[in-house]
Amino acid sequence: MGGTLSYPHTDVGIPREPYQVLVLGSPSAESSEWAVSVKGLTREYTTRNFFGGVARSTWALSGVDFQVAVGELFGLIGPNGAGKTTTIKILTTLLTPTGGDATILGLDVRKDLYEIRRRIGIVFGGERGLYNRVSAVDNLRYFSDLYGVDSGVAKKRIPQLLEVVGLADRAQERVEKYSRGMKQRLHIAKALVHDPELIFLDEPTIGLDPAGARDIRNMVRELKAQGKTILLTTHYMFEAEELCQRVGVISKGKIVALDTPSDLKNMVRDISVIDLRTYGATMEYVEALRALPSVVRVVADLDSEEQSIRVQTPMGADLLPQVVAALPEGTKIIDRTIKEPTLEDAYLRLVEE
Amino acid sequence: MPSMDDLTPGKRTEGYLGQRVQVLKASMFLTSRLFFADPQWVIPNIIAPFIFTLVAFELFDGQTSSGSFLLYLVLGSGLMGMWGTTIYASANSIGFDRWNGTMESTLAAPMPLSWIALGRVLFNTLQGVLTAVFILVIGIAWFRTGFTLVNPPAFFLASVSTFLSLSTFGLLMTTVLLLSRKGGFITNSMEIPVYIATGTMFPVILLPIVYLPFAFMLAPTWGIDAIRIAALPNYVGLPTTYWQDMAIMAVETLAYLALAFFLFKRVEAYAKKIGTLEEY
Ligand SMILES: Nc1ncnc2c1ncn2[C@@H]1O[C@H](COP(=O)(O)OP(=O)(O)OP(=O)(O)O)[C@@H](O)[C@H]1O
Ligand SMILES: [Mg+2]
Repeated sequence: MGGTLSYPHTDVGIPREPYQVLVLGSPSAESSEWAVSVKGLTREYTTRNFFGGVARSTWALSGVDFQVAVGELFGLIGPNGAGKTTTIKILTTLLTPTGGDATILGLDVRKDLYEIRRRIGIVFGGERGLYNRVSAVDNLRYFSDLYGVDSGVAKKRIPQLLEVVGLADRAQERVEKYSRGMKQRLHIAKALVHDPELIFLDEPTIGLDPAGARDIRNMVRELKAQGKTILLTTHYMFEAEELCQRVGVISKGKIVALDTPSDLKNMVRDISVIDLRTYGATMEYVEALRALPSVVRVVADLDSEEQSIRVQTPMGADLLPQVVAALPEGTKIIDRTIKEPTLEDAYLRLVEE
Repeated sequence: MPSMDDLTPGKRTEGYLGQRVQVLKASMFLTSRLFFADPQWVIPNIIAPFIFTLVAFELFDGQTSSGSFLLYLVLGSGLMGMWGTTIYASANSIGFDRWNGTMESTLAAPMPLSWIALGRVLFNTLQGVLTAVFILVIGIAWFRTGFTLVNPPAFFLASVSTFLSLSTFGLLMTTVLLLSRKGGFITNSMEIPVYIATGTMFPVILLPIVYLPFAFMLAPTWGIDAIRIAALPNYVGLPTTYWQDMAIMAVETLAYLALAFFLFKRVEAYAKKIGTLEEY
């Protein structure tokens, strides 16, 4: 290969224009034109004991199947330990699968390591992955050389990227002085130095304040508008709903549902949600609500002074009298709203099953 | 805010060698940046060798009438500083990425890890050599005895070759340390035997016979002998000539290099098997 990274599709004979007219969830032609194609993917982790014997074995993935079309923004959601990071690591050639197949831009993750790596960008969430003792420019220059970016191009592209992620005026400062949000924006710039076609983001907004998270989501949208294919994982349902064209729900190493956010929500259209803000509520009240007939599910956050309780029920507002009647002594409802179900409600149903 | 539309499209460096040289340079440059970013570098690289050399000279003060003895001492302590930094530095080359949290980003690059590590090790060895030169300068300045080398061009050639040989040895060490959990332990326990075995402290010929095979397998043993032949008058070292030393060193260095590149493949395969090298 070789040549420019900007129109690499010409190398494999895929035109760039038709991205926009793709019917989601189906490739434009043969299966090799999926940006990501995963079939029966499994991965076992073994931990060895002191003597080298297998102490414990975990199946992080037990048969994962999904495809991402070129130009699509695809989300993977799932609870802790579901296998999201493991999937991303396998797709980015950092981890060998135990079984099954995965191709990236038609290339085999087991065989075509370097070719895949040149054409993808990776953003891991969290603090790791940057050289904190040197500047943002030094970091980007290093990674740009590591990815073999032509030095003439890098000279222009690095300052431009720093502009795009809003770090231009602090570009010469040591990264250790950056805020969490700035570091994450630098992570995005770092993933883009070599102009990849396909970008993986593993929980890109984790640990960011709302404004920082919004910045990152805007960048993801911009990348999508550029025609990049994006696969991201998140814990935040509204994020997946807001950004992704299709979402795969992964639980215990398996995809349990895969659809557009609105179709996933259809799974729970039979219910509505009573959102309560309460004062003085304890587990006792939550249990009382759960015991009510026709209550499907109750999710509560009791940690703060004001608690939020989410009651899923097919009865909607008709359940309110019973909700009020179940209030124990000393617990007050400050506010209540009847809502349409969101992706979160669908998600909760899926991962509990 | 400027938009992503305005970004210059990416373009890749052409050519097998061009790409590798680019990685090598980038890795050396980053390592130098990281090195100078930590002001502590002054202690092991300037202050410690300085004190060490002064103490050594004071200890042997009465005997410094012999010019070649002085040179021997200077070369010895210089080389010792070089070895020390090489071994520590190789251990820290990729090990640094491990505790810095950049192992994953390094492993994700579309370039063999060996080339990245080689850049790190080359800078670290270079910095060790500069320490050695520094010690030499202190020695000369302290005693004001401008000494003459027997054969300056040969001395220069042997020094540069020994530097490259040390780097390859450092690269090999890096793989061993990456593949072993007890990396730090190995480096620490290697240092003194290596000083002795390579004749840094006293001529190899004085070693008990059982250590000789080990000493002869270390390429710098030959390099140090060559350096001394080129530097000292009436030097009695190994029974080999200057060029024989150089040839043996070259062969052994190439063998190290081949072994190191092979082991790096293993390191990468291992990293992919367990998913990280970051902490384990
Ligand atoms: N290096 C490892 N060694 C052993 N087990 C591992 C390793 N990495 C992950 N696992 C296990 O594999 C399973 C899947 O982990 P993974 O990190 O892929 O989940 P995740 O969906 O990314 O979770 P999170 O939302 O917490 O990031 C978990 O049970 C985890 O404990
Ligand atoms: Mg994860």
